Amino acid sequence: MNIVVDQGKCVGAGQCVLAADDVFDQRDDDGLVDLLDANPPAERLADVRHAAAVCPASAISVHF
Amino acid sequence: MSIDAERLKLPFARPNVLELAPLYELLRREAPIAPVTTPAGDPAWLVTRYEEVKLLLGDKRFGRSHPEPEKASRVSTSAVQDGPSGEYATEEADHTRMRRLLTPAFSAKRMRMLGENMQRLVDACLDSLIAEHERTGVVDLHRGLAFPLPVAMICGLLGVPEEDNELFASLSERMASTEIGEEAHQAREEFFRYMVGLVEGKRGQLGEDVISDLVRAQAEDPSFDYVEMVRLCVGLLFAGHETTVNRIGLGVLFLLTERSRWDALVADPEGRVDAVVEEVMRLGAPGDLGLLRYAREDVDIAGVTIRAGDALVLSINAANRDATVYSEAEEFNPDRPERTHLGFGHGAHFCIGASLARTELRVVFAALAKRLPDMRLAKELDQLQVRATLTGGVAELPVTWRSA
Repeated sequence: MNIVVDQGKCVGAGQCVLAADDVFDQRDDDGLVDLLDANPPAERLADVRHAAAVCPASAISVHF
Repeated sequence: MSIDAERLKLPFARPNVLELAPLYELLRREAPIAPVTTPAGDPAWLVTRYEEVKLLLGDKRFGRSHPEPEKASRVSTSAVQDGPSGEYATEEADHTRMRRLLTPAFSAKRMRMLGENMQRLVDACLDSLIAEHERTGVVDLHRGLAFPLPVAMICGLLGVPEEDNELFASLSERMASTEIGEEAHQAREEFFRYMVGLVEGKRGQLGEDVISDLVRAQAEDPSFDYVEMVRLCVGLLFAGHETTVNRIGLGVLFLLTERSRWDALVADPEGRVDAVVEEVMRLGAPGDLGLLRYAREDVDIAGVTIRAGDALVLSINAANRDATVYSEAEEFNPDRPERTHLGFGHGAHFCIGASLARTELRVVFAALAKRLPDMRLAKELDQLQVRATLTGGVAELPVTWRSA
C-alpha cells in the first residue's frame, strides 16, 4: 500500500493520528499532517482506511 | 401529511432530550433540503440528509460570512451562530490563519498527553461525589463532574483563571439562550469586555497558553484585527466547555436509560469506551438547529436552487441518524459497523477541539464505569430540566448508587 497526503487540503484535525499514530503525526509548528510511514505493512490497512475515511478534509488517499 | 403545504417553522418539538422530532425522518426522505422559517422568523434552507450535510460542510461555495450582513437571514435570537460572522472578502484567508495558529495547541498528541492530568481531575471529582453520596444518597453528576472537568481543562489550555468559572459559565448560558431575546446579545458584549480585561492583563506577562499565543500573533500581524482576536478567545472559551459539558450529560443519559448499554460498558470499560464515545458523538443531539452557512453563489443541489446569500441550517443531528447511512440509525449501538459521523462537523471548520473532547469523554466514561458500576438515574428522563439554549443539554444529572 502507498499512502499520499495532501498538506494543502489538511485542516489539522488530527483524526488520522488517533486512527493510526504509527503512520500519521501532526507537525509541531502548524499541526498539519506528517506522514511517518508512506508504505506501512498490509496489517495496518484497516486503520489506515479508517484514517482516510474520517479525515474531514479528504486529504488522505491510499493506493495499491 | 404534506411537507409542502406550508413553510415549516424551526425548531421542531422533540419527544425528549435524547430523541429527535419524527419529522426529520420524513424530511430526509422527501425534502433533504427544505425551505423553513428560522426561530428568528427569517427564511432558510434546512439540510437533513447525511450526504448533503457532509457535502455542503466541505464545499467552499458555502461560508459563515455574508456580503451584506445586515440583510442576511438571522437564525435565532441567541448570540451564538445567530447570523453571519467574519469578513466576506477575506473569510477563507482569515480562517486559514486562525487554524494555523491554533491547531498545534489542540493536536491529537498534545491532547493525549493531557490524559493523565484529566484522570487525576476526574478521580478527584469522583472522590468528592462518593463522599457526598455517603451523606445524601443522591448526587448531581452535572455539577460534580460534567461541568468542572471540561472547565478545568479549557482554562488550563487557554490560560483563563479557573476561579472565574461561575462568571464565564453564566455569560455562556445567557449568550446561548434562545429565550431572553436581546439580553443574549448583551451577554456577548459582557463576555467580550471580560475577555479584553483578561487579554490586557496578560499582555505584560505572556505565558505558554493559547490566549498568550493569540495576543503575540495579533501584535505581530497588522492584518489580524484586535476585535477578531478577542472574539476568537471568547469563542474558544465558550465552545471549549459548553459543548463537552452537554455531551457528557447526554452520554450518561443514553447509557443509563437502557441498563444493557451501561452494563456492557461496565463489563469492559477500557475495551469499549472508544466505541461508546463515538456513538455518543453520533447520537447525542444537542440543540434544535444545526450549523449555519451562507451560500456564496447560486447552487443547484438535491432538486432545489439555493441563491447566493441564502442561509442554510445544516442539521448534524438529523444527518447522524440517516437510515441510508446507518443501520438501525436511531439505535444506540457502539458495535455498529459504521464508524464515522458528523458529530464534530466536517471540512475546513471541523471542530478544532475534537481531540480534546474525545480524550475528556474517554476518561470520564471509563472512570464512571469502573468506579460507579451501580450508578443509575435518580429521576426519570422527562423530569430532568433541559436548558433553553442553542446548545441544549440538561441542567442537572441526579444519580444514585444506593441499593434500592
